[in-house]
Amino acid sequence: MTLFTRGIILASVLALAACTNPDRFDSAGAGGAGGAGGAGGIGAPGSASDPRSPLYFQQTIGDRVLFQVDQSSITPEYQTVLDGQAQWLMTNTDYVAIIEGHADEQGTREYNLALGARRANAVQEYLVSRGVAPNRLRVISYGKERPIELCSDEACYSQNRRAVTVISAGLSS
Amino acid sequence: MRIGYYISGAGHIGLILLVLFGGMFNTPPQSFEVTEVSVISGAEFDAMMQGVQTPDVTTDVAMPAPDLPAEQAPPVESQPDPTPPPPAPQVTEAPETDPVPQQPDPLPQQTEAEVSDEAPVIAPPPQEEVVLSPTISDRPVPRPSERVAPEPVAPPEPDTQVSDAVTEEVVPDEAAEVVREETEGGAPEEATTRIVTEAMEEPSAAPTTSVRPRTRPARPEPVAETPPADPAPEAAPEQQAQEQPEAQPDQTADAVNDALRQALEGGAASPAAGGQSGPPMTSGERDALRVAVQQCWNVGSLSSEALRTTVVVAVSMTEDGKPQSESLRMLGFEGGTEAAARQAFESARRAIIRCGANGFSLPRDKYDQWREIEMTFNPENMRIR
Amino acid sequence: MMTRVLTLLAALLVFAMPAAAQTGGPLRIEITEGVIEPLPFANPDFVAENAAAAELARQIARVVSEDLTGTGLFREIPASAFISQITSFNSPVQFSDWRAINAQALISGAVSVGGDGSVSVKFRLYDVFAGQELGDGLQFNGTQAGWRRIAHKVADAVYSRITGEGGYFDSRVVYVAEAGTKDDRRKRLAIMDYDGANVQYLTDSNAIVLAPRFSPNGDRILYTSYESGFPRIYVMDVASVGRRALPTLEGDMSFAPRFAPDGNTVVYSLTTGGNTDIYRMDITSGAATRLTSTPAIETAPSFSPDGSRIVFESDRSGSQQLYIMGANGGEPQRISFGQGRYGTPVWSPRGDLIAFTKQSKGRFHIGVMRTDGSEERLLTASFLDEGPTWSPNGRVIMFTRETQGATGSASLYSVDISGRNLKQIRTEGGASDPAWSPLQR
Repeated sequence: MTLFTRGIILASVLALAACTNPDRFDSAGAGGAGGAGGAGGIGAPGSASDPRSPLYFQQTIGDRVLFQVDQSSITPEYQTVLDGQAQWLMTNTDYVAIIEGHADEQGTREYNLALGARRANAVQEYLVSRGVAPNRLRVISYGKERPIELCSDEACYSQNRRAVTVISAGLSS
Repeated sequence: MRIGYYISGAGHIGLILLVLFGGMFNTPPQSFEVTEVSVISGAEFDAMMQGVQTPDVTTDVAMPAPDLPAEQAPPVESQPDPTPPPPAPQVTEAPETDPVPQQPDPLPQQTEAEVSDEAPVIAPPPQEEVVLSPTISDRPVPRPSERVAPEPVAPPEPDTQVSDAVTEEVVPDEAAEVVREETEGGAPEEATTRIVTEAMEEPSAAPTTSVRPRTRPARPEPVAETPPADPAPEAAPEQQAQEQPEAQPDQTADAVNDALRQALEGGAASPAAGGQSGPPMTSGERDALRVAVQQCWNVGSLSSEALRTTVVVAVSMTEDGKPQSESLRMLGFEGGTEAAARQAFESARRAIIRCGANGFSLPRDKYDQWREIEMTFNPENMRIR
Repeated sequence: MMTRVLTLLAALLVFAMPAAAQTGGPLRIEITEGVIEPLPFANPDFVAENAAAAELARQIARVVSEDLTGTGLFREIPASAFISQITSFNSPVQFSDWRAINAQALISGAVSVGGDGSVSVKFRLYDVFAGQELGDGLQFNGTQAGWRRIAHKVADAVYSRITGEGGYFDSRVVYVAEAGTKDDRRKRLAIMDYDGANVQYLTDSNAIVLAPRFSPNGDRILYTSYESGFPRIYVMDVASVGRRALPTLEGDMSFAPRFAPDGNTVVYSLTTGGNTDIYRMDITSGAATRLTSTPAIETAPSFSPDGSRIVFESDRSGSQQLYIMGANGGEPQRISFGQGRYGTPVWSPRGDLIAFTKQSKGRFHIGVMRTDGSEERLLTASFLDEGPTWSPNGRVIMFTRETQGATGSASLYSVDISGRNLKQIRTEGGASDPAWSPLQR
């Protein structure tokens, strides 16, 4: 019996970890990296190996698209990623997504906000073209405010020029 | 094993549903709030904002002219902001009000400033002037500072013998004979011929260590791509003559040479006391005067409008080449407002008095020709480009 | 005036001719070259007219001196060089003593503190070489707590009398105070005196805040905040710190706001469907009008001081460039044509210049150009400079400079529009997005 109780508690913790993570993007506007992830247990439901879990979406399918300098067009490599995202979203209809657009630091603040919006919008339009309902997708731009890589080289810039699809549970759809 | 998973999965799902329907996440992404913002009242922030409330101090300015009563300049009144009652701040994680160095604690009671309508307190001090024979031993050495002048001047070297005209520039003192000895071998502050902004510097080169180009770049333009152009002119006088400022490529060499020659001649020439008209002024003699005044004409602190204003200044000279300050007057101006002309005139006046304090190097035998001088100060070349 | 011009011409002709040609009349010469150097001034400690004023008298004189030397246009002569002292505000000035140390301007002041904590400061400014006062003596009354503002007002008066230009010392700067590493940067709005003193924080750092802008009379601040989760424009009352969001449709992002000179109209960028255009809004009614409609990014609008035109950036040509359009939109004129990208244009308060950020060859510059795009001058160069803001008198530009690398951080710098006197503004931590207030009343 105690084992069972422990199992429940453990499951609760994992579920919370998996679910609170997306939520913080809504409420605080913080993070934005989307890469922090939750504390998923290996092989457990909600973990990266569970095809129905947000972690699976994030880590196995890939939650982000990278862009060329000052560009917002999606290269064929990332079209594959987005195809996977679309498929996942069509399968897991309980989830909605916020697409975050980002830019590297090589640009003025206002322009980069607009550029990030272009990138997020490009992802949104692609996903919609693959059948995802538009009302399940929202876009936001962080411009250059939330880099994930810190160096001032192209190696970091290329990782920061991104659009990240952040999954969260949505029940209204 | 499997059972454990099922239990765990059920627990997950149950908890997810509980959590989601339980309203813990009150912002499902589909229904984002629009425009609703809680306005935090001024009262709530009052405690933290005590110091910010704009005028802790109202600075009402009575403008008393020394001779004229205050009605000429009515005091500017500024109304202090009402001080709301300070409630306990209810803000979670309120921004801390950082103490500001040297700032006395602003007391709410003090935010009301006294308005003083009192009549002018300030009477002009007596203008009497005691002429001292200054024994200037601790005269400050001109420190190297950013300075833009028509003629580049090298950093002082021990054996630099510059013409008297130049030396006088740094000794604007009545007691010329006394001080001159101290400044022999001195030189004006280091100067360049143009403003070198950060954008003109090479990205990698530190300004102090940049290599001085031996030849002048063809045409320096105020853009970033331009290489640094002679930031520090050479010390040797010959080099000075070669590195002329663009503004007057030919004149400057002549002017410098003339000035030097003139200074040398002037030193050797026997002062024909009380000389009558004498032979006409040579262009070299006039250039020497012009150069001497230019070196004191500081336009660095002039407004851009004053820099568009040409003023004509008249001055009467004493026989020993000194300007009579009371005779200085503006004959006319061109290009700017009267206010701008006043600033321009003041800078011209300072230039004439300062550089003429020890007497300009003018030929005494031609005193009749320079007894009255009209100088036109045209700052066109000195504008920010 | 006409005769004057003719006289000038005549003088020039005479000057150009052989010396022998001149006979009689005054000697005429033309001075066309001067020097540009800081004007040396002496500013002895102000006279304390009662014992309570002793410390303030010293501090106020120091702030006045810091204001003046901080412009780069003035150089203070150290007190150790003084030959005579000012011991009484009304005693005669020994001009020869001040001439001897080459002080071209002399400030003399006096401070008295009343029993109720009130402070009275008076000063005179002398042209030492002319041996006379520049302007009339002035007196300022205030409270002890606000002594810095009194000092700034004295310095503004001195600056204005010597340069002929309006002052800017009694002004404030609103900016974004930053803390934390690049990937976890916390931002909050802060306001301070122009020289970095008297810092106060206006928001907490729970949400990203960007690019605050003062209203024309300095009573309100527009800024962008993510506090709703999405970037939105807010207007804050400076005195009460109360704030409200400008109306924005769900799904849209709004940012880059700036007041029109009327203080009631706001121009800003609105992004909908990935496309960013410029709008204007009456903030009383909330009615918005779209001013641009291209698929390009149009942002960073800034009104001309007369409110008739708007300068903004657009990448409609394929790269960021500057354009000017009417206050109600219409076909814009491109004004930037140099190599590189141009952004964040800001119209100067005098109306004659536009400051901007330029990106060229991997470096960032702050520059100015005339409103027709001519006479472009770059004032700075670094890894990342951006976001210029004008001093109230249009003579100085403040901007953000960010250093590179993983430990990079932002700070505020200012530079004279001549490109001289580049210096960092002291702030407690990181700082970005400065906006200069108008001169305070």
